[in-house]
Amino acid sequence: MHWIIEFIVRYRNFCSLVFTVVLSLLMISSPENRQLATVRFLTTSVFYPLQFIIDKATNISNIYEENRRLRQEVVVLSSRVAAFQEQASENDRLRGMLNLAQNFSYDFVPVRVVAHDPSDLNRSIVINAGKNQGVLQWMPVVGEKGVVGKVVQVMGGLSLVQLIRDPANRTSVMIRKSRAIGILENSNGKDYYLRCRSHENVAVGDTVITSGLGGIYPPGLHVGIVVRISDSSDPLFKKAWIKLSVDFNHIEELFVMRLSPQWSAFVHEFDSLGFTQ
Amino acid sequence: MIKAIFIWFAVFLGAFILQTTLVPSLAIFGVKPDLLMLALFMMAIKTGVMPAIFIGFIIGLSQDIYSPSVLGQSALAKTLAGFFAGLFNEKVMRLDPVILGIILILTFFVNDLAIYAVQVVKSGGSLGAVAKEIIGPTFPRALYTLIFAVIPILWEQFSVIKTRR
Repeated sequence: MHWIIEFIVRYRNFCSLVFTVVLSLLMISSPENRQLATVRFLTTSVFYPLQFIIDKATNISNIYEENRRLRQEVVVLSSRVAAFQEQASENDRLRGMLNLAQNFSYDFVPVRVVAHDPSDLNRSIVINAGKNQGVLQWMPVVGEKGVVGKVVQVMGGLSLVQLIRDPANRTSVMIRKSRAIGILENSNGKDYYLRCRSHENVAVGDTVITSGLGGIYPPGLHVGIVVRISDSSDPLFKKAWIKLSVDFNHIEELFVMRLSPQWSAFVHEFDSLGFTQ
Repeated sequence: MIKAIFIWFAVFLGAFILQTTLVPSLAIFGVKPDLLMLALFMMAIKTGVMPAIFIGFIIGLSQDIYSPSVLGQSALAKTLAGFFAGLFNEKVMRLDPVILGIILILTFFVNDLAIYAVQVVKSGGSLGAVAKEIIGPTFPRALYTLIFAVIPILWEQFSVIKTRR
């Protein structure tokens, strides 16, 4: 017995080869049903746990792949949702402007804002319509929420619009309910007020519209609402503080109203008086 | 010793997972690399004949169970392939990378020769057909696997040079 062990140890490589080859040949030459039984035994006892581990590992790699794919889809869908929201917002704005255009019987030129005044006060904007589109100086510019400003300079395809929020812009406005008339004023570019007589019936919440005086804006264009009443330094007047209806930081699509200034018929007389535009 | 067993177990497990998941997508005209054979070859070169025989036998047996073939066919083929590659164990002789590549190709031939020999014996067939089968798919498969063998072979050469310094 001892010499057998010694032989195996001494020729272990050869013995290993013979052992595995004989085992393989036995399996190869065994009947088919015995092969199946052996496969079933090995599958359930040895390879099933191994397969379980491999499946788990494969699943993990699939999860990473799926996660990456889903992240990509989220990015794509987010961009699509943003585009849809933008379109919906534009749709709302254009619907509002369409209503505005239908409410007034003037000729409107649809325009887009192409540039804003870079200063904090945001006094003016540039629109993408000019002489070529029939835009003239002093034409009023409106948005769906109300009056925006007036054209002060016209080029071929562009125009400069002075906004009503510009402290240098003096717009004649009126309280719709009481018909009290005044000039829209502001001192710091943020707080707007209307100076009106003390006895005028003005209340918080009243709508402020253009009066039609001054010759540039037609009457009835929405300007804002009264948010506060305060006393003036002059006891004969009081101040009605106004919140403008147009958000000047977010204007994109506008209309130029094709109106000639009411005083254009007298322009020669103005010239003779030495006024300059 | 235990560390080496764990490392080789991880190598074979990784090769098995890659062989069943990634490698099918790398097929070129139906020719796929055999990463399990490559792992067996590397282990045989590193550890010698006896471990290569037993590991080859186990790998072959697992292939027999997973693929519908004659039980013992791949076990025999991988055993012989492991034995052949183990003869060139680095403890016995130091071979340069080109010779190692040639031995890898020859290992593929030993493996496939055993498989087709069993096929001929079990289900009949001419030796001419066996020769055609071996020359046909075996050589491209061996060459494709050789591309993947470049990295471990060069890594091995690099680590040997580093150890000598």
